[in-house]
Amino acid sequence: MARKLSRRSLALYVADGLTPARRRTTIGQLAAYLVENRRTKELDLIVRDVAYFLSQKGTTSATVTSAFDLNAETKAAITAFIKDKTNSSQVSLDSLIDPSVIGGVKISLPGYELDQTISHKLTVLKTRFKKA
Amino acid sequence: MSFLSQFAAETAEANSDIFTALGIDWRLLILQIVAFLILVFLLGKFVYPWLMKSVDERQANIEAASKAAANAQKAAEKNNEQVAELLAQARKEASEIVSTAKLESSEIVANSEKKAIASAEQIVAAAHDQISKDVESVKKQLHDETLELVALATGKVVGETLSKSTNNDLIARAIKESK
Repeated sequence: MARKLSRRSLALYVADGLTPARRRTTIGQLAAYLVENRRTKELDLIVRDVAYFLSQKGTTSATVTSAFDLNAETKAAITAFIKDKTNSSQVSLDSLIDPSVIGGVKISLPGYELDQTISHKLTVLKTRFKKA
Repeated sequence: MSFLSQFAAETAEANSDIFTALGIDWRLLILQIVAFLILVFLLGKFVYPWLMKSVDERQANIEAASKAAANAQKAAEKNNEQVAELLAQARKEASEIVSTAKLESSEIVANSEKKAIASAEQIVAAAHDQISKDVESVKKQLHDETLELVALATGKVVGETLSKSTNNDLIARAIKESK
């Protein structure tokens, strides 16, 4: 029976294996391992850890949430901002459209989040001025 | 007896004229006197002592009864005095009890009034406190609800007025501020 690997070890292995040449194989191995060991519930956590280790290595994956589509200029500004913040050489953006944020943008990075949405600002306003 | 009759006859002869004139038979008179004396003697010897003794006893009884009655009267008078004294004392005690009871009742009423006033003041103070708390709570609730409404309205207005280009400008500004 195979030895149970820690989530950190798995994430490290996958982060190392996500080169263009090995990407497919590594992802297939991870999926097989999780299914065989009945640990598929940990997938989200492992992906989060992989993103963290990738960002440590200079490849940052960011989720950008906004109410509308972002134009190329804004995306470039966001990429530059992320590079500046994380010292990453490579940044990949996942855009998410969510009208409930009303306006602005929320940038989610591994271990960091910048929420500049109007809905967040309104929530802060409500929380700050609500009487105890 | 014959001597007596003879003496009576001789005496009667000497005075026959007076006694005869008066219609008195002196011999019979003497006999009656003698009989009377005998009667007196017999009565004095046998009847009077018994009678006197009985009378004396009766008198003694009466005197004793009188004395007892006097004593009883004295005792009754004494009892009356004692009763009067007791009544006076009882009236005094009763009046003291009544005055004490009045005093106590007035004290109880005063205490009850004080307690009632204190209780009423407490109730009023508690009601004031509760009203103040309620007012504060309502104010807070109103403030929070107003805040919610303002946020909601702001969100709606901004959401309707915000365009894609404005949003991009907003994002650019936010990123610039966050640097």
